[in-house]
Amino acid sequence: MNDFSAMIPELVLTAVACVLFLLGCSNKLAARRIAPLIALLALAGALAIEVFGHFDGGGREMQAVQHSAIASYIRVLALAVGVMLLLLSWPTDAEAMGNSALAYGMDASGEYFAFFLLSITGLLLVTTANDLIMLFLALELTSIPTYIMVSISRPRAVAQEAGVKYFFLGAMSVAIMLFGFSYLFGTTGQIQLSKIAEALHHPALTQWELLAVVLCIIGFTYKMAAFPLHFYAGDVYEGAATPVTAFLAFVPKTAGFMALIKLLIVVGGSDFSQLPHQITTLLWVMAALTMTAGNVLGLLQSNVKRVLAYSSIAHSGYMLVGLAALREAGHSALQGVLFYLAAYAIMNSAAFGILMLLPGRRRLMEVGKEPLPGDLAAETFDDIAGQGREHLGLGLGMAVACFSLIGIPLTIGFVGKLMLIRPALAANAIWLTVILVINAAISAAYYLRIVGTMFLRPAMPAVEPETAQSGHQLVKGQFPVVAAVALSVLGTLLFGIVPGAAQKLAQHAAARPSPVVGMTSSAQGVAAAR
Amino acid sequence: MDKLLPILLLVPVLGAIGCMMLPGAKVARNLALLVSIITAALVLPLLFNFDWHNTAGIQFGFAAGEFSTAGFRFSLGIDSISLWLIALTVFLQPLAIAASFASIQDRAKQYYAWMLALLAAMLGVFMARDALLFYVFFELTLIPMFFIIGIWGGPERRYAAGKFFLFTFSGSVFTLAAVIYLGIKAGTFDISALVDFARSGKMGHVELIWVALGLLAGFAVKVPLFPVHTWLPLAHTEAPTAGSVILAGVLLKLGTYGILRFVVPIGFYATSTDQITAWNITFLKIVAVLSICGVIYGALVAWVQQDIKKLVAYSSVSHLGFCVLGLAALNHEGMQGSVLYMINHGLSTGAMFLVIGMIYDRYHTRDINQLSGLARKMPIMAFFFILFTLSSIGLPGLNGFASEFLTILGAFKSEHLGPIYGGFAALGIILGAVYMLHMAARVIWGPLKTPHIEHGEEDHGPVLSVDLNAREIGILVPLALAVVVIGVIPGKLLNTFQDPISRLLNDRSGMAKVDKTAPAAPPAIAARDIHPLDRIP
Repeated sequence: MNDFSAMIPELVLTAVACVLFLLGCSNKLAARRIAPLIALLALAGALAIEVFGHFDGGGREMQAVQHSAIASYIRVLALAVGVMLLLLSWPTDAEAMGNSALAYGMDASGEYFAFFLLSITGLLLVTTANDLIMLFLALELTSIPTYIMVSISRPRAVAQEAGVKYFFLGAMSVAIMLFGFSYLFGTTGQIQLSKIAEALHHPALTQWELLAVVLCIIGFTYKMAAFPLHFYAGDVYEGAATPVTAFLAFVPKTAGFMALIKLLIVVGGSDFSQLPHQITTLLWVMAALTMTAGNVLGLLQSNVKRVLAYSSIAHSGYMLVGLAALREAGHSALQGVLFYLAAYAIMNSAAFGILMLLPGRRRLMEVGKEPLPGDLAAETFDDIAGQGREHLGLGLGMAVACFSLIGIPLTIGFVGKLMLIRPALAANAIWLTVILVINAAISAAYYLRIVGTMFLRPAMPAVEPETAQSGHQLVKGQFPVVAAVALSVLGTLLFGIVPGAAQKLAQHAAARPSPVVGMTSSAQGVAAAR
Repeated sequence: MDKLLPILLLVPVLGAIGCMMLPGAKVARNLALLVSIITAALVLPLLFNFDWHNTAGIQFGFAAGEFSTAGFRFSLGIDSISLWLIALTVFLQPLAIAASFASIQDRAKQYYAWMLALLAAMLGVFMARDALLFYVFFELTLIPMFFIIGIWGGPERRYAAGKFFLFTFSGSVFTLAAVIYLGIKAGTFDISALVDFARSGKMGHVELIWVALGLLAGFAVKVPLFPVHTWLPLAHTEAPTAGSVILAGVLLKLGTYGILRFVVPIGFYATSTDQITAWNITFLKIVAVLSICGVIYGALVAWVQQDIKKLVAYSSVSHLGFCVLGLAALNHEGMQGSVLYMINHGLSTGAMFLVIGMIYDRYHTRDINQLSGLARKMPIMAFFFILFTLSSIGLPGLNGFASEFLTILGAFKSEHLGPIYGGFAALGIILGAVYMLHMAARVIWGPLKTPHIEHGEEDHGPVLSVDLNAREIGILVPLALAVVVIGVIPGKLLNTFQDPISRLLNDRSGMAKVDKTAPAAPPAIAARDIHPLDRIP
């Protein structure tokens, strides 16, 4: 058992996921209804184990799994945000026609939450994965459940379409990534990350080694929703039910970033000083294009979920700015990226959560047609027009989330941007910083449009008054979602005003980033030998 | 005493929360007025305990814990320039709130909460001694104003609010980048330390010009300087009366204040050696040319406006041009005049917007063609209208004169600008008189004409008296007094700006080398130039 002690949270989540699969087969509604509760307990338990369990690896070297400070940080973050996302996914009564009347609320509850836990398990494994096989499996464990979650999230063609699109493009990206992995193995002859790090020709990689790294990075961009594999985000985020969209914007993205950081540690050493300039340049270009593409496309959208999808791309771009500054700025840049991951998760959950709580769509597509669950979700700008006036709390919450996403002071988004801009400037990446601030200005336009629509526009006239009423009751009957939204809005403000504690955590994690066994000593040995 | 500044910030914030929490719009508006008056009262001990012999020194300093690794400190402190701008802010805010009593009926609780939040943010800008903290407050003024314009504004309010926010934010992100860049180089974000570092010659000239350009980007939009002024007429016109008053009175001053604090020492005059580099001079001249463009362009456009409020809004573009020109003159006359201009413009333009708001409350129009001869119907209003018009034009004896005169004198005497700049700016004064008097003549005198449907019918809320009522007179009287008092004795006020400005110009010329420890051996030059103004009745 000792060998598995580092994986207890993963084991717990997987075991519970299996239970939930069985539960999903039950013909009793009540049994299926307790699935979210079980999943919540499992996540909370895993979080407690992770926080209080003190795994430092104990000096034991395992082939496949290795703990590190950065892994602990991401694991705690993943589990904590996982709890919040789970609360957002809480199913409601089938009668409710609003936003969170999800298909899985009635018939697929067990499966949905099982996949939910499996995907989080995958993310946890990505943080500790120590060889290529494990990394690949972990990334796939993160992604594959999300394909199904997107498809089963609501019984609408657009969700099926999103699921299929997500799956096929995901498969393509995995192929690219796997191609990169194969080259990595082919050039170094090693599977374990630390051995690969030793075998690579630092700091001037050979062409084949560079090709391997570049292919891996491109493969990861799919998970991160970054250029060049960012284009699926709009359709998939729009098609999935809102809580699933919130999930997509955090779990696969974080897995992608974690994998990328691991790769950069392998290539650049634990202080990133040996990153080849080609890779830094690549990250620079990716950062610039990702931010710009995300924000410019975000300007053109009429659907709030699509806006948030493109904003998700843009925020990946901001984080890539931190990664592009890794070589010169080292740990402070990594700290910025780690903090920003948390910041984005919190403020983004707030935005999606509020979108869910807003009363459903007031006008039907076809009058007289019986709406399916999810048909009435508030999604477009017209749907949310004037809602800030009628639901002041939700409106202010959305304003906080949007201002945080813009990067206005006193929110976590501002602290996050500050922590990315500072290392970027310290690394003398001035033009990249200029591109970043221009992008922040562009993004302000569409976030402000959300706030402006909610507060400054009159509400659309209701076609069916009953629909509006049931939407209003919905807000009252959704305690878990309200709790998640309240938590994330408070977190956005709290960490924006006193960011100290969260920054220290990120700093601690970034100070010893090497999750790779023996990497520090061996890399230093290599450096000393030169 | 040393906690006075944070208390000053905290009171409006608590007031804003109170306005949201307490039930009832009436309660909220009375609370807001009370809180703004308390805030104003809290500034009195600042004024009395301020060490007027050491106006350049940072007083009432307060510093709280480091914001962890983000690296900026919550450090507050004021010198005499900040003090007077704070005084201006707390002076205008109760008047603006009182002026909203009749016109703001819808969602009044939120409105007053935003007004108080805005007050706190504005005070924070003038108090901040840390460049990042300055930026934080600078940005935070956007949100309340966005909602004030967007929710309670005129028919084009949504567009105006969005444009206001986006213009200002787009500019200020560059300011943020420049501040961080400078802060990283200097290893601190303390404003004085940043300026000292920039002047120490450790950074290249070109590098500093880029930093200064970045800094200027945010401030230029806020001022607004000529090519980026387009948000202002719209925002002013669409904002509710109180919003326009605060926007013109204080928010625009955040831009000029930022230029004074950052761009002047870093961009205009960056090195500790005795020479300004060619880069600095070019930069300074560009800013001066832009501000003169603003002066002339603003005046010409104001001339053809049909909407009184828009006219005054464009006059702000013109007036703020003088203000920046004075700063670019880089001598005592110009800069003192410029600081005085900030205060004067706040008073007279704020007052103009108030009077226009009172006219609008009655007739629901601001169209020059529909209003005429109001003096016959509203003599009291006409008195104030003309007084503030004259103050705005710069009639000797009222407040506008000294500042306008000094900024232009500064431009004339400046070794970098000279008579051509001064001459063009003087043209702006003439144009200013033309458009303001043109408007006043048509609106106040001539045959009586009011819109066909007068306000005051049952469906239009509270019935207002024909002429100004006691509340409205009560709002305008303090402003009128301030306008006259500053007009009669501008020298006293100007003298208090001397030392901080000497410090800004410090290394420039031997005459201004103030010994910071010895109290007030006032450097001679400015005093000589200003005393004649004192004697003007």
